[in-house]
Amino acid sequence: MNFVLRYCRQIFGGITTPLLLSYRYRGLLWMLLRREIATRTSGTVLGFFWPLVQPALQVVGFWFLFDVVYGMRIERGTGFLAYLLSGILPWLCLNEVLIRATNMFREFASVFSRTPFPIEILPVELMCIPGLVYSVAFTVSAGLMFGALAAVKAIIVIPLLLLWLLPLILFCALLGLFLRDFTQGLPFILMLLMYSTPILYFPDMLPATMRAWIWLNPFSDLMALIHAWLQGEALPWNSLWRLGGLWLLLLGPAWLWFRRSLPHVREVL
Amino acid sequence: MSGSVITARGLGKYYKLYARDVDRVREILSGKPRHQQYYALRGIDLDVQEGQVVGVVGKNGAGKSTLLKLLANTLQPSEGTVSIQGRVAALLELGASFHPEMSGHDNIYLNCAIQGLSTAQIDQVYAEIVAFSGIGEFIHNPVKTYSSGMLVRLAFSIATHIDPDILIIDEALSVGDGVFARRSFDRIMAFKKAGKTIFFCSHSLYQVEALCDYVIWIDAGHIRRAGAPAAVITEYGEFLQQQAPLSPGAALGLDKVDDQHGANAMHADDLPRIKTLRILLDGVEGKVQRVQSCANDLAIEICFHPGRNLPMPCVALMFVGGDGRPLASAGNLNDGCALSPGADGLVRVTAHFPRLPLLKGNYNIDVYLLCERGLHVYEAILQAAELNVEQRSLERGIVNLPHRWEVQCNVETP
Repeated sequence: MNFVLRYCRQIFGGITTPLLLSYRYRGLLWMLLRREIATRTSGTVLGFFWPLVQPALQVVGFWFLFDVVYGMRIERGTGFLAYLLSGILPWLCLNEVLIRATNMFREFASVFSRTPFPIEILPVELMCIPGLVYSVAFTVSAGLMFGALAAVKAIIVIPLLLLWLLPLILFCALLGLFLRDFTQGLPFILMLLMYSTPILYFPDMLPATMRAWIWLNPFSDLMALIHAWLQGEALPWNSLWRLGGLWLLLLGPAWLWFRRSLPHVREVL
Repeated sequence: MSGSVITARGLGKYYKLYARDVDRVREILSGKPRHQQYYALRGIDLDVQEGQVVGVVGKNGAGKSTLLKLLANTLQPSEGTVSIQGRVAALLELGASFHPEMSGHDNIYLNCAIQGLSTAQIDQVYAEIVAFSGIGEFIHNPVKTYSSGMLVRLAFSIATHIDPDILIIDEALSVGDGVFARRSFDRIMAFKKAGKTIFFCSHSLYQVEALCDYVIWIDAGHIRRAGAPAAVITEYGEFLQQQAPLSPGAALGLDKVDDQHGANAMHADDLPRIKTLRILLDGVEGKVQRVQSCANDLAIEICFHPGRNLPMPCVALMFVGGDGRPLASAGNLNDGCALSPGADGLVRVTAHFPRLPLLKGNYNIDVYLLCERGLHVYEAILQAAELNVEQRSLERGIVNLPHRWEVQCNVETP
């Protein structure tokens, strides 16, 4: 019983502490976001236009590959391009956030190593700009592909995705700090995951021998949920429960490890 | 004095050394220690009262910086407790948290926010920070375009405008170039005058003794001695002399006098500066003098510009041995000699040393032009004169102390 209580406390702390501290230090959070924008847009003529347009450019790249070069005309109730956009934009967001998380502590080292600083707000800071950029891109895409209702539904997808990613962000941040090899290896791992998740293809296009992988891969559940939500189909409750369960399973340990590691963070840097 | 603002009990900090990076991860996950401990600080007990100026001295690597970081809350203690009442501003690594791509304006807001100020509070002090830093119209340019002097000025201005209750100073009592150095020094003195608590860590024993009312000597991570400045500084000075000869120029403990001199070489017209310096032995001028011990009169004639709208500076001299150790000093401030300018606005003052009692050896004289408190260095001329002292008699040591003999005759024994 004690263990369950402690576990629940960690989950509660993991979700509330970053959010409450982000609210308490909202002025600081805002300045950190401006700092990030300055870093991203430094020396460019178009400024913040670039972060906004990056997802669209990536989508254009995928469209060119699959629609123009391969001429894919497959349909499963929806066109392939609409299917691709529904999955690829959340995945690009996930990809960007997790890769940046591996470098989170080093990126902000100059800020927190010499001043008392609420390190717990860094995961939230990490999510804000990609959250905004990809929410805009995803909402616009959903509106164009599936209509106004889908656009309204799409608004919550990226924020919920980021919330679900919180334990993974914490793990990636710590592993990236303590094991530099992880930072080097993560892009490859994410690439493999993207290819093995039904994003660039319909689930039924996967060879029968690999179907079990779809069942094991939580990102397949994620994609199934997003597609169903946008297209107004019945929600795959199994996927929802599995994703929720996984989130609850990971958030407690992730938050506990994060808290235990904080005294180490300044020393390592 | 209304109570302790800093209380530490058994405060210690050790750094964890791991054979492999992965051992740290395994330790955090399992809770089972896999490290070796390296203690930087151990068993520190402190009670610092509001308004107290505490000096921290110690050799490099003794643990001074670790103590300051623990007090500034940028390091977590490994053992013991530390309790701090009030907002802390630390003049440590000034400007290190600036983002080069952001403007001075945005860096002010960022750094003040990091220090815990709300946007409304920052709005209130913003104009003062900009005015004090003297950055002017460049405040909207990215700080990567600033000179190092501008960066330090802005960082100092931010750190001291957040209305701290406790100010932590690592080494420098003033920052920046000539004019700003004086302003920054005045600002720190204003904190002292306002009854703020100051933690001052320095190798300048002279400044520590002059400024502080309590001194802590840290050696190998422990408090070796703490108490009244004069007693602690004397003991620490003796310890240093036993350890190694001092380097030339460290006589006053003003390690950066060359920098100060360099800065003042570019001084603005309104800063005090030495115009001429003459070393006279029995009226004959020369930078290198051959002196007969206890026979020649030495005079050091200094002419300086006292600056504009500043309190009258003071002059100090230091006799330094060939090994760099300070032997004797003299200053008009300590001797109660008031200075005043002549009709041309220049101050002329001469220090006389009749029948110079130094014994044989080679000596140097350093000359300092200091602020009215004798703390801030406007200008330092190191090795302004070289004295080669010869003697005919057989006395040993450094100086022939003024003395007399008295012989008692026909004394009745009880």
